[in-house]
Amino acid sequence: MFGSVSRRSLLGGAAGLALAPSLGRDASAQQRTRLRMAWWGSTDRARRTQAALEVYQRKNANTQVDTESVGWNDYWTRLATQVAGGNAPDVIQMDYRYIYEYARRRALKPLDEFVPAPLNITDFGQANIDTGKVDGQIFGVSMGVNSTAMFYDKTAFERLNIRPPDHNTTWAQFAELCTNMTRAANRRGFFGTMDAGFVEPAFEAFVRQRGKSLYNGDGRLGFVRDDLAEYWDYWDRLRKAGGAAQGDIQALYRSTPETDLITSGRAAVTFAHSNQLVAWQAVTQNRLGMTMYPKGDRPGQYYKPSMLLSMSATTTQAREAASIINFIVGDADAAPALGVERGVPPSARMRQAVLPTTDELGRAQIEYIALLADKTSPLPPPPPRGAGEVEQLLRRVYETISVGGARVPAAVDQFMAEAPRILERA
Amino acid sequence: MNADDAAFAAPPARGLRAVRGLLAHALLIAVCFVMLYPVLWMIASTFKPEAMIFSDFSLWPYEFSLRAYIEGWNGLQVSFTRFFFNSALVAGLAVMGNLIACSLAAYAFARLNFRFRNFWFALMLGTLMLPYHVTLIPQYVLFLNLGWVDTFLPLVVPKFLAVDAFFIFLMVQFFRGIPRELDEAAMMDGCGPWKIYLLILMPLSKPVLATAAIFSFIWTWDDFFGPLIYLNDINHYTVPLALRSFVDSTGRSEWGPLFAMSILSLVPVFLVFLFFQRLIIRGIAMSGLKG
Amino acid sequence: MATTRQDVSAGRIARPAETARRKPIDRQDGAAYMFLSPWLAGLFLLTLGPTLVSLYLSFTQFDLLQAPRWNGLANYERMFTEDQRFRNALSVTFWYVGLSVPLKLAVALAIALVLDKGLRGLTLYRALLYLPSLLGGSVAIAFLWRRIFAYDGLVNEVLAMAIGFDGPSWISNPNYSIYTLVILRAWQFGSPMIIFLAGLRQIPQDLYEAAAIDGAGPVTQFFRITLPLLAPVVFFNLVLQTIDAFKAFTPAFIISGGTGGPIDSTLFYTLYLYQEAFAYFRMGYASALAWVLLVIIAVFTAIYFLTSRYWVYYQDER
Repeated sequence: MFGSVSRRSLLGGAAGLALAPSLGRDASAQQRTRLRMAWWGSTDRARRTQAALEVYQRKNANTQVDTESVGWNDYWTRLATQVAGGNAPDVIQMDYRYIYEYARRRALKPLDEFVPAPLNITDFGQANIDTGKVDGQIFGVSMGVNSTAMFYDKTAFERLNIRPPDHNTTWAQFAELCTNMTRAANRRGFFGTMDAGFVEPAFEAFVRQRGKSLYNGDGRLGFVRDDLAEYWDYWDRLRKAGGAAQGDIQALYRSTPETDLITSGRAAVTFAHSNQLVAWQAVTQNRLGMTMYPKGDRPGQYYKPSMLLSMSATTTQAREAASIINFIVGDADAAPALGVERGVPPSARMRQAVLPTTDELGRAQIEYIALLADKTSPLPPPPPRGAGEVEQLLRRVYETISVGGARVPAAVDQFMAEAPRILERA
Repeated sequence: MNADDAAFAAPPARGLRAVRGLLAHALLIAVCFVMLYPVLWMIASTFKPEAMIFSDFSLWPYEFSLRAYIEGWNGLQVSFTRFFFNSALVAGLAVMGNLIACSLAAYAFARLNFRFRNFWFALMLGTLMLPYHVTLIPQYVLFLNLGWVDTFLPLVVPKFLAVDAFFIFLMVQFFRGIPRELDEAAMMDGCGPWKIYLLILMPLSKPVLATAAIFSFIWTWDDFFGPLIYLNDINHYTVPLALRSFVDSTGRSEWGPLFAMSILSLVPVFLVFLFFQRLIIRGIAMSGLKG
Repeated sequence: MATTRQDVSAGRIARPAETARRKPIDRQDGAAYMFLSPWLAGLFLLTLGPTLVSLYLSFTQFDLLQAPRWNGLANYERMFTEDQRFRNALSVTFWYVGLSVPLKLAVALAIALVLDKGLRGLTLYRALLYLPSLLGGSVAIAFLWRRIFAYDGLVNEVLAMAIGFDGPSWISNPNYSIYTLVILRAWQFGSPMIIFLAGLRQIPQDLYEAAAIDGAGPVTQFFRITLPLLAPVVFFNLVLQTIDAFKAFTPAFIISGGTGGPIDSTLFYTLYLYQEAFAYFRMGYASALAWVLLVIIAVFTAIYFLTSRYWVYYQDER
C-alpha cells in the first residue's frame, strides 16, 4: 500500500502547483500521522462527523484525519474500486448487509485485538457487540441501535379520525385498519398503506414471528414455501381490497425518502427503519409517527446496527484507527456533535451524553428503541453471500404479482426455484 | 410535395412573411417552454421551503427566500468558490487537450495516407464501445501506481493524449467535408502537412472546433464519475461531485441547496455555450472558392 | 519535407477508399505517425492496458476484493445458456436503441434545420434548447419524469381533460416504462443538434442560391443539397448515437433508482452489468458482459460503415 504522503510528494515533481492545490499543506503535515476515514451520508452527517473529528484532532495533535464522504450509491462503487486498487480508507463506515461481503473477502481487519484498549466497547452490552461479528470475530462496531419500524401519517389519521396502528396491532387488524383508511380518505391514488410485499425486512419479521428466519446457519433459506405464499397472499388480498397501494403506484417508490408513498401523499403507512424518521419527516409537511411492525405470535423484530465502523485490512496505522473508532462510538466528547444522527448510540455512556442535545425526532427514536426492549428476539443467523441478490429477487418476483398480474402460487414457485440457485452460485 | 415546393418557392408577400415569422417564434417559444419546464421548476424550487419542493409543482414560489443559495454556497466544509475554480481548471484544460490532440489525430486519419490506417481507425472506434465500468478498476490501479489519485491528472492528462475518440471521429468527418483542392493548392506552393494542418485546415474548421470545444467543456464540467473515483479530498472536488454531496438516498438530502447550486453550475456552461456557438458560422472562404 | 514533395509530384493524396486499390506510392507514414503520436501514446499507455485487463477478467471469477481466479469460458457459458436476465436486458436494450436513435436524430435534425434559418434571436433559442441536455443525469430529471408520467402526472391530466381517458402510471408500468426513457433520450437532443448545425454551416451557401435560380423549392433543396452534403454528419451522428444508446446507463439508473424495475422492464444492458459488478461482486462476469456488448456494437458499426459507401459522400472524394 502507498502512504498518501509519499504519493503526493512524488507528485510534486510531476505536476504544477495548480494541479495539486494541497501540496503546500502536505509539506507542513509530514510529521503527523495521517489517516483516511470514509462514510456515506448527508451533508448534516458530514458536518457532525467533521466537528467530532476536529475535537479528536485537538486532543491528538499528531493525528490528521482526512475524510471522504459521499451519498449511498456512490459510496459503494468508490469503496469497491479503492479496495480493489489496494487504496482503501483506514476507517470505513460499513452497512450491516455489506459487512459480510467485505469481511469474508478479507477486506476488513478483525478488531478483537484492540478490545478493550484502545477500543472500549464494554458498555455496549453483548447483543450490540455481536451485531458487528462475522464468523466469530468483531469486524465492525455498531454506531447506532436501530430496528425496523412503521411510519404513519399522523396528520392524515387525525384528520379522518381513525386510530393509527400501534405496537399491539395484529396483521389482521392492520389489514382492516388500512382498508378503512382508504375508504375514509376516498381519494384517487391514496391508500391505507404501502404494499410491503416486496419489503424484505417486513417479510423477515413475518417469518420470525412464525419461528423461522430468512436464512438458517448453513446459508440456506430459513423459511418454506408456505411462509412466502401466506405473506404474499396477505398483501395480494389487501391490495385487491384497496387497503394497500395499487401495483404501478407502489412501483413509483425508488427506495428514497422523497419517492416514498407516505411522503408523496399516496399512502398513510410505510415500512422503514427507525433511524430514517428524520429523513422522511424532512420531505413532508404532515407529521409522522412511528410504531412497530404488525404483531405476530412471537417477536419478529430485532435490534440491528444502523451502521458500523470497520477498519481496512490494509491499514498501516491500526492502533490509531482503532482509537478513532473508539472516539466516535464511545467518547462523551464526540457525543454533542454526533447526536443521534446515526441512530441511538449503543454505549450507555454516549446515550447519557447525547440526551440533552436531542430534539423531538431524536427523542422519538430513543423512546422507540426503549419500547422494543422486551419485544425483540435475538439476532438472526448471518445472511450468506448472495443475500443482496435474493433481496432484489424478492422485489422483482413480487412485482410480477402486484404490477404484472401473475398469480401468487406461480410467483412463489418462481422465487423458491431461483433463490437457492442464487445462493449456490454466490 | 410539389405544391408545397411551389408555394415556398414563390417569393411570399411582405405580410405573409411577417405572419410566418411570428408563427415560427410562437412555435419556438412553445417548444422552449416545454423543454425548459424542469429548469424553471428547479429555479422556482430554490426559493421554496424544503418540505414543499416535492409537493408543490407551481412555477411560482409563494414564499421568496435566498436561503438555499446562501446555505448552499457554504453548505459543505469548503465553499463553492473552490469547486467552481476546480471545475473551471479541469474543464479548461480538457478543452485545450481535446482540441489539440484530437485535431492532430483527426488530420492524420482524414488527410494522410499511411500504413495500417484502417486498422488504427477501427481500433479508435473500438475504444468507444467498451462500457467504462469494467475498465474502471484496472485504470484506477494504473493511476494509483502513477501517484495520480487525488489529483486532477487522471481527469486531464488523458485529454492531451486524445483518449476521447468521439472528438477524433467528429473532426475526421468534418475535415473530410473540406475540399481537397485547398490542400493540393497549398502543396503546390510547397506547404508540408504541418503547414496545411495549421494554415488551411484549422482556420476552415472553426465550426467543428467550436463544437468540440463546447462538448469538451460541458462533458468535463458535468462529469461526475471520474472525479468521484479519483478525487478524495474535498478541497479537490469539482462542482458535480460537490452537488452529489447534498444527496443521500438513505438519509436527509438538502434539496434546496442542491437545486440552487445546480442552477448556478449551469451558468458557466451556458456562457461557454453562448461564446463558442458564435464560432459555428458559415465557412465563407470555402464557399467562395467553390463558386 | 521530402515525402511531401513527392506527393505533390504524384498530384494528389489517395483517399481511404482508394488505399486498397491503389498501390502505395504516395504514403506519408512519417508525418502521419507524428500527428498520431499523442493518440498512440494515450492508446498504449492509458487505454489498451485496462482494456486488455478487462478482457482477461472476463475469463475469471473476480469479486473485486480478492485476486481473480481463472475459470475459462464459464462466464460466457452462463450468459448464453442460463442467464434469463441477460436475455431480458438485451431485448430491453435493443428496443431502446431501435426506437430512441431514429427518434432523437429526427428531432435533432428538424430543430437544427429550423434554427439554421435566419430568424431573429436564434442564438438564444439555440442555447435554451440545449439546456435539457445540460441537465444530464441530474436528480431533477428523475423527479420531473415522475411528475409527467406518473398516474397523476401531466400526461394523464391532459388525457383526462382532452378525451376523458384514465391513463396508466406510464413510468412505473412495465408495459410502458421503456417508452418514457425513449422520450427522455429524444428530449435531450442537444448534442446531435449542435453537430447538425455545424454541418449545415459547412454547406456552401451559393449552392442554394444556384438551386433557387433553377427553381428548386425548399423541399427539393433539402433532398438534393442539404441531405447529401450533410451525409457525413448524419453518418457520424448515427454511429455515435447508436454506440451511445447501447451504452446508456444513467437514464435508467436515475429513473428506476438503480433497479431496472418494475420487473426488469428498464433493465438496460449496462445497468445489469453494473449490478453484477458492484452490487453482486461479479466483476469477471460483468467484464464478459462488456465484451459481448462490444462485439454487438462493433457489428452494428461495421454494418453502418459497409453500407455508408452507398449513401455517404465526402467533399474530398469528388
